[in-house]
Amino acid sequence: MSDRFERLGWKNKTFDTLNALFLLALMLTMLIPFINVLALSFSSGVASMQPDIVLWPKAFSAEGYSIVWKSLDIWRPLMNSVIVTVIGTALHVMLSSLAGYVFIYPRLPGRKIMLTFVLITMMVPQEAIMIPLYVVNKDLHLINTLTALVLSGLVSGFSILLMRSFFLNVPYEMAESAKIDGAGEFRIFLTMYMRLAAAGLATVVLFEFVGRWNMFTAPVMFINDTMKYTLQVALKAMIIDTNSNSGTYMITTNVRMAGIIISIIPLMAVYPFVQKYFMKGILLGASKE
Amino acid sequence: MKKVLLTMSTIAVAGTMILTGCGSETKGNDAANTPTNTQSNNAAANTSTGSSSNETANAPAGDMKLRILDANVGGKTPEENTQFEAEIKRLTGIEATLEKPASDYDQKVLTALSSGEKYDLIELSDLGTLATFVDQGVLTDLTDFVTKSSVLSDPTVIPTKEWDQLKDKDGKIVAVFSKFQGGTMPIVRKDWLDKLNLKEPKTLDDYYNVLKAFKEKDPDGNGKNDTYGLSTSDLYDIQGFMSSAGLKYRYVMKDGKRTIPYATEAAVPMYEWFAKLVKEGIMDPNFVTNDTGKMRNLFLTDRVGMVTYWDAWVGMFNNMRTQEDPNTKFQAEALNGIAGADGKVLLRRGDPDFWIIPANAEHPDAAKKFLEFWHTEPGITLGSLGIEKVDYSKSGDTYMLTDMGKEHNSDHGVPFWYNENVKAPFGKLPGVQAAQDIVKQNATLELSLPGWEDAEKIVKNYALKAMSGQMDAAEAVKKMHDELMSKNLIDE
Amino acid sequence: MKVLKRYGALYVMMAPVIAYFLVFAYYPLVKGLQTSFQNYRLMGDRPYVGFTNYSDVLHDSTFWDAMVNTLVIGGGILLFSFAAPLVIALSLNEVLRTWYKKIAQMILYVPHLLSWVVVGGIWIFLLSPDSGLVNMVLVHVFHRTPFNFLADASWARWIMILLATWKEMGYTCILFLAGIVSINPSLYEAARMDGATRWQQLIRVTLPQLGNTMKVVFLLNTLGILRIFDEVFVLRNPTIATKVDVLMMYTFQKGILDIKLGPASAASFFVLLLTLALTLVVRRVTRFDEV
Repeated sequence: MSDRFERLGWKNKTFDTLNALFLLALMLTMLIPFINVLALSFSSGVASMQPDIVLWPKAFSAEGYSIVWKSLDIWRPLMNSVIVTVIGTALHVMLSSLAGYVFIYPRLPGRKIMLTFVLITMMVPQEAIMIPLYVVNKDLHLINTLTALVLSGLVSGFSILLMRSFFLNVPYEMAESAKIDGAGEFRIFLTMYMRLAAAGLATVVLFEFVGRWNMFTAPVMFINDTMKYTLQVALKAMIIDTNSNSGTYMITTNVRMAGIIISIIPLMAVYPFVQKYFMKGILLGASKE
Repeated sequence: MKKVLLTMSTIAVAGTMILTGCGSETKGNDAANTPTNTQSNNAAANTSTGSSSNETANAPAGDMKLRILDANVGGKTPEENTQFEAEIKRLTGIEATLEKPASDYDQKVLTALSSGEKYDLIELSDLGTLATFVDQGVLTDLTDFVTKSSVLSDPTVIPTKEWDQLKDKDGKIVAVFSKFQGGTMPIVRKDWLDKLNLKEPKTLDDYYNVLKAFKEKDPDGNGKNDTYGLSTSDLYDIQGFMSSAGLKYRYVMKDGKRTIPYATEAAVPMYEWFAKLVKEGIMDPNFVTNDTGKMRNLFLTDRVGMVTYWDAWVGMFNNMRTQEDPNTKFQAEALNGIAGADGKVLLRRGDPDFWIIPANAEHPDAAKKFLEFWHTEPGITLGSLGIEKVDYSKSGDTYMLTDMGKEHNSDHGVPFWYNENVKAPFGKLPGVQAAQDIVKQNATLELSLPGWEDAEKIVKNYALKAMSGQMDAAEAVKKMHDELMSKNLIDE
Repeated sequence: MKVLKRYGALYVMMAPVIAYFLVFAYYPLVKGLQTSFQNYRLMGDRPYVGFTNYSDVLHDSTFWDAMVNTLVIGGGILLFSFAAPLVIALSLNEVLRTWYKKIAQMILYVPHLLSWVVVGGIWIFLLSPDSGLVNMVLVHVFHRTPFNFLADASWARWIMILLATWKEMGYTCILFLAGIVSINPSLYEAARMDGATRWQQLIRVTLPQLGNTMKVVFLLNTLGILRIFDEVFVLRNPTIATKVDVLMMYTFQKGILDIKLGPASAASFFVLLLTLALTLVVRRVTRFDEV
């Protein structure tokens, strides 16, 4: 690494230790509940319902997983979720970056109006427009299609603002000089900005991926066909709705926890991959020094 | 830098591949769907001409269509749901589509109705919603249909008095039952009673002694002081105990005035009784935050000796523990509520589950035909056991459940039914009959008037504070009553 | 003409986004606005009733209770979920060992991967007076009597604020980290030339350079505070409802439970207007447009 941390006196060492401990304490508040869930998911039905602090499976059993697997026929909802999440995220990032890029031009006529136009969409409570939104989807013949789910939240003011703030960190003069060399906007956008804001791009991809994967209201509202359910919808009935009065089958805690684990595995799988970009960004910065 | 670019382009390529791959898949689906769509459109056209000539529900069903939105009826998996539709077709000739949202059912119904989506049958389970739907012009008047139907007007199929539940304020029948709805009562661990040489409790003091013994005398014999006498899920459901002071939950009309008995002086000693249970550690301290699922779990795992829950669950509790261990001593038993000074017991009957035909239904005749079918033997068998060859097989008069059928517990929306002429092929689970007898004898519906949602928040807030000892019971009742009065939610 | 030539491509880039928002945000919004002026029955005619729905809402004391709860809880969340992630991001940035940094960052992010339903369920369990971990520690380590955190009205709002912060801090932290990563390294170099310590580098370089990101994060958080819903929906219970029922909970209750779509819609538009006002204030104060 650089000489940034060369002067490692005792003060620095104490600070580093305290700092590490502080982070460790925070991590524990996240880890313990998670381990708890994981341990319960691998416990047997009866054992999982005993009131204890479980940090290791009690009466180890994978029956929770097999019940989720069997009763949900999980491949189809999983595939639906993957399709909607991957395509939706790709399009979302593309469109949001485009708009984010537009907003870095301070003298663009109409910029302020367009920015307000975008900001207002962020203030609309979804509940207020749920019914009209359903009607729009119905009129476009999108009810019961995965397209409706891809289109739901296809662009968001949130991502636009984020991308804009990342693009702002790219030195403006670079674009100017490229323009003088005769490069078009699209080329500058693709070859310079998208590349240089990779860490930002990774951030938006991650956020959007998680958001889409956990998307719930849209599939509940727009999808009636059980064949087109996404994973979250299929799982929710199992994980949460324990209050039903005519419900006749028993969802023990291990089944619920297995459902939770299954629903977050894909996210856990994607995350380190995206995280690499942050790290690469950091290393890139370091190697320039 | 190069590496970054490389990875980026890989993602891009992978992305495009998935995009195109999916694109063709979607196309495939569309192609597969097209013929069916045309077919069903034709069918729809046929039916509409049919209904314009005023066909009755007895019309030939060869080309009838039906679109159903429901919460409970149908298959447990997407596959089974498709088979369920096929079975309806086989049994009635109606081409039904069954839409069974996995969750957020109420929101779904509202969105669908208000955006002009057209369903022929919708299942509901809340009488307050039914009243609102009447006000908002959603319902079809079914009085003529029901009174003229040879099936539905037969008192052995549905007792005549029961229809009162489904009438609007002008006495018109606006819905048809989908199943027989039970009620709730205290359920006790009979094996614990026996072990501690206790009798079934009758009075409030009896109950106190039994619950105290459950807490203190280690009924599960594990040597640890880890049991509770009683658990509830907030005020759900203390009716069986409040009965001893003659208090009925929700609204009670008294000389034309709206009252809430839980907010009267008479309730003070009852809240104090609960506060004593909480203070002495006899009551599960989580009762404020419990959902019913948690309450059930405590009962099933030997942590609590008494809960208040549905009649059907007496059997389910017993069945679950027996499945787990055939030699279990576990025995759940239904108890009657505590009789009040006038000797009357007040228990809660659940709001019925019922079907409505929305005013904009495109195929009301098919819907009516389905409603009649639903109360005949084949309909009941479908709603309970399930689908022939999938959930059960039948040779002669004997039914055999398949593995899937066993898993589904003979419940595809209709665990119990009204029709006395149809007998359950496998009988009832242990303990259920006794529980249902108690319900039939003592359970009555609760009255929710407009504004109950607001009133309930106030009642629960103070009642739970009094019960958990955070507030003096008399003070809580006074505040509760004053707040209800000031918001014009009660008349006295 | 000149403008078009210079900026034409930018407008083309913006066009699909504008089209999308028109169809999927503004059109439904106008429709929703229409609903708020109607006696919106589920079926049949829906007569216009002027401002009746709005005045009904304004005269409902429950609405004002919800308003107070929203401002208190939302304000708390705004403050804490801005400060906490910032501290963590700075702390992470000072960690020297890459593996530790990586792991910490990853783990802190986990709660955000879970929905509120799951997170709420876990915390209800952890805070339970009967066997929850928190109370176990209180009883065995500090010899206190168990405390029913979730059923005590005086704790309710704090719990909402702290849990929201806990869940989202790893997520906001990433925004700050991404901001830190893109700070020009030559700035640090220059600071070191001047003999700046780590602390001074933090104060003189990192914090000022994070200004843009901070503004964005603050603005984004502001937009969210009036729309808190899932958390309250999952964690509320009748004893704390009066302290934690927020505005969106009010609209949910009006619309979905009471089936009064007109007033529910009117209430949502109050939320919208309020958010608009708040955002304008924040934009003015942070001088967001000059970013």
